[in-house]
Amino acid sequence: MLWIALHLPLLSLESFAATVAGGADPRAAAAAPLALMDAQRIVSANAAAQALGIKAGLKRATALALVPQLVLGRADRTRDEQAFEPVAHAALAFTPSVSIQPGESAETAPNTVLLEVEASLRYFGGLPRLLQGLLSALQPLNHRIHCVSAPTPHGAALLARVHRRLACADLDATARALEAAPVWLLGPGQEHWDALQGMGLRTLGDLRSVPRAGLARRFGESLLNELDRALGLEPDPRVAIVLPPVFESRLELFARADTTEQVLHGASVLLARLVLWLAARQAFVRHFTLVMQHEARWRRSHDAPRSTALEIALAEPSRDSAHLLVLLRERLARLQLPAPTIDLCLRADDISQRTVPNQDLFPTSRSEREGLVQLIERLQARLGPEQVQRLHPVDDHRPECGSRIEATNGEIPLRSGLARPSPVPRPALRLKRLKPGIAPSSAKRAAVVASPTRPRRPTPRPVWLLPQPEPLPEHHSRPLLGGEPLQLLSGPERIEAGWWDTALAERDYFIAQAADGALVWIYRARLPLSAVEGEQGWFMQGRFG
Amino acid sequence: MDAAITTLPDPVPTERPLHSPQALHPALWFGHQLGRSAEQAVPTGFAALDQQLPGGGWPRRVLSELLLPHPGVGEIRLLSACLVATQRAGRLVMLFDPPAALSAWALADLGFDVEQLLIVNTRARVVPGSDSLWALEQSLKSGHVGAVLAWLPPRLRAERLRRLQLAAHAHDGPAFVLRELAAAERPTATPLRLALKPRGADVLEVRILKRRGPPLEVALRLALPPVLSRVAAQRAHAGVVRQPALRPATFVDLAPSVVE
Repeated sequence: MLWIALHLPLLSLESFAATVAGGADPRAAAAAPLALMDAQRIVSANAAAQALGIKAGLKRATALALVPQLVLGRADRTRDEQAFEPVAHAALAFTPSVSIQPGESAETAPNTVLLEVEASLRYFGGLPRLLQGLLSALQPLNHRIHCVSAPTPHGAALLARVHRRLACADLDATARALEAAPVWLLGPGQEHWDALQGMGLRTLGDLRSVPRAGLARRFGESLLNELDRALGLEPDPRVAIVLPPVFESRLELFARADTTEQVLHGASVLLARLVLWLAARQAFVRHFTLVMQHEARWRRSHDAPRSTALEIALAEPSRDSAHLLVLLRERLARLQLPAPTIDLCLRADDISQRTVPNQDLFPTSRSEREGLVQLIERLQARLGPEQVQRLHPVDDHRPECGSRIEATNGEIPLRSGLARPSPVPRPALRLKRLKPGIAPSSAKRAAVVASPTRPRRPTPRPVWLLPQPEPLPEHHSRPLLGGEPLQLLSGPERIEAGWWDTALAERDYFIAQAADGALVWIYRARLPLSAVEGEQGWFMQGRFG
Repeated sequence: MDAAITTLPDPVPTERPLHSPQALHPALWFGHQLGRSAEQAVPTGFAALDQQLPGGGWPRRVLSELLLPHPGVGEIRLLSACLVATQRAGRLVMLFDPPAALSAWALADLGFDVEQLLIVNTRARVVPGSDSLWALEQSLKSGHVGAVLAWLPPRLRAERLRRLQLAAHAHDGPAFVLRELAAAERPTATPLRLALKPRGADVLEVRILKRRGPPLEVALRLALPPVLSRVAAQRAHAGVVRQPALRPATFVDLAPSVVE
């Protein structure tokens, strides 16, 4: 059995720091002096505050006199537990047997997680690489972490509280390391600390050297039992934790977040927790929701909602925290907060179990596809999903109805290069000759198809269609464009369609050449006697691009 | 002290000048030669144009700037060979801010697989704190897009274009930016700049305003994939102005069969 203990000595302070919005820059957040206090005295302070002279034991007034911009908070057991949970989730990605060491006293939240990794060593390539992977997985949470491995769970947990990094290979090494450890590590030892110090017992080694019977009579059996468990002399069964089946994590912000950037800071903490939970579940998220609770008093109007839910759906399930954060940032930047936000909640609504994709050394079509999916999601997040479009041909003779524009559904419109289908066939009936008697012979038609210099279809269509047909002035019954007469080159092609809906089109189309040589597509409405004014005469509908 | 001052020997002349320094590295070329690059260019589909472009085609990883008087001079037909080849290679073609609605059938006629095109409208809504070129820059930077065709807003500042040009270094494929003709008077960061002008039916005049190589004085005339039938093209060439029928009931048929 090999146990790893991960101990978070500054958990309360760090969980408090996560709720303080430091703006967009995480380094600015780290630079703000923070301290926790209890009963009007400073309990702990972060590095920035310590550099300014704040230390444990100072009175509140003294600390504020030293550093007026000091942000003071209180340790909160619920908040600590919420911050500690993702550490246990991260551990579950490495081994199924993870247990949580109870807190040092009844009031404090647990801050040590224990992993039994003997069975995982070979898969992860040995203890050093496993530890490296574990610590880099925990990196986004921004915790200071003590990491100790030992053959007994309790021994590892005790040693993690005094050593930052330590590896004890066997029981002897554990015993040696424990003998040098201070005696206050033992839970019941704390209350007898003064008496033990008076007896000259400072280390656990001193405690072992005195007779057991006397110690047991003075301080109770539990003190010695705990030491025995740490040394591996007594059995120490542990209960493995189970990953919650749904992810929902809350973060109460220390100060009101007025801007979406401040919300983003808190949301990034929640996203890091989500990614760790997904990694432990071997899953990818497809849809998640960020719920922002607003402060009721500061709402701009009474009918403003109490909370705003921001739903983010992904085309391709992902657990790439950088990508998720970019999507969230773009969506938040578009959002107008109705009131300051005080509380955040992140929920994973839809996850999918998939195998982890392999990493590619060289770019492949699959990696390109994934990159494109992420690119399109990023564009849609900023511009709006309806602005990234695809074109679909529609079987309709009227040119304005011949194409349909649809927002892309996130699926990449890429087929493999080889399996490219032939161009979509046009509807069979597109051309109505005015004089059916002189229709081109079939031989000529074949020549049209065979010749590569000829257009492939007898009735070419312009690439550019004007949003509204542009009425053209007329001079001696010749249409003018820009004051110059148009030269009709080909036509007429009659399009008569749409009697089934309101947009009836009865037009004769011509290809004409403008004065500068460009080809345009113009038509004349075929019903000059139609009652509708403004639908007669010549119109330009397209340009041959 | 005098001993320290000695006349320096004349520099030993090189045995003979390098006959072909351009053989040393693909990025070296003579002033009278066309520029080359290590990247394989994409053929344009027009032999006359390929001959005049450095590398023998549309360059990759840089922007190619096309200046047009107005949309609809034949620009899509000019680029269709390159874009269709990109699509057939299984890569994505993205269009940014097309100036008018695109006809799916016309694109299919040119050989495009219409449903594989991706159209991005960046100017439909003003996003605070960002500009309309953000999407284009992201797409170029991602390096996953096969070809990019973008209609830039008028009077674009030079540094914005330079920024796009830097982003295009990551883009493995041709990237075309289409701008108004008036931009020709201002300098550009793009290494290739062409001015397009219609010159008769189905004929496009291409002037190369800037390239890596000597300036090209004469304009190229390219025969585009024709829209007109042969007869109609002859008619356009002859400059015969046909009078359309005065009344709709008495249409003169201009179909080729009648004229022949």
